[in-house]
Amino acid sequence: MREQRTAVRSDAAQLPVLTRFLQEFWSAAELPPAQALSFELALEEVFMNVCMHGSPAGSAPWVEVSLVLAEDGLTMTVEDDGPQFDPLSLPPPDITASLTGRPVGGLGVFLVRQMMDAVSYHRVGARNRLRMTKHIAN
Amino acid sequence: MNVRLETFGLTTVVIPAGRLDFSSANGFEKQLELVFAGAGTAPAAVIIDCAALEYVSSAGLRVFLLAARSSQRAGVYFALCALQPAVGEVFNLSGFNRIITVHADRATALSQVPQGRA
Repeated sequence: MREQRTAVRSDAAQLPVLTRFLQEFWSAAELPPAQALSFELALEEVFMNVCMHGSPAGSAPWVEVSLVLAEDGLTMTVEDDGPQFDPLSLPPPDITASLTGRPVGGLGVFLVRQMMDAVSYHRVGARNRLRMTKHIAN
Repeated sequence: MNVRLETFGLTTVVIPAGRLDFSSANGFEKQLELVFAGAGTAPAAVIIDCAALEYVSSAGLRVFLLAARSSQRAGVYFALCALQPAVGEVFNLSGFNRIITVHADRATALSQVPQGRA
């Protein structure tokens, strides 16, 4: 089992830091590069959600990301100490709507759910915890 | 992300290379606005060649959606081509393949520009 964690402020400028953290974990664990993108996307979508919707004006909650590689796959957990918010409670976007009828947002969490094998949300004490797992094929 | 432009007659081919994520989406959106406005003459067709685009998130999809709407309003032919598998997956999962035309490669895309526009 391989495990690593890092923490940043919920500031959009920190996104490259998190992406690099994930990429370095990926290459150190010698995981197949083609499968990194779904985790990079999940990390971006979840982190940006906290930055844009989970950070009340004037505050910048801490966001902690952990990666745990085990037999059954990779589990990425994103925790923040912002206000309680379950992104999984958002209604799915209408992906059949026409070009003009399509809302410009709301796709991020939907994509995460599609690309991961399992996604769960828990409020743990004063923290939001979003856990995502996906099998990694060799 | 780097973006190059090539023109073929009145068709502008936009070639983004790298990652279209939250960090690069705003800049790309502004570049596309300039492309649609045209330098003197507005383009008749805009094709985004994604052969070197390695990654797209919802922030990038948003830019494609806004570009497709701009093209519809302006009567400009708009299509994407040469999506890498990972980008194609994101595109299909979000249902964008139903609202934005995607061609297999640039040659096909250019051949599909409506007559009288190229």
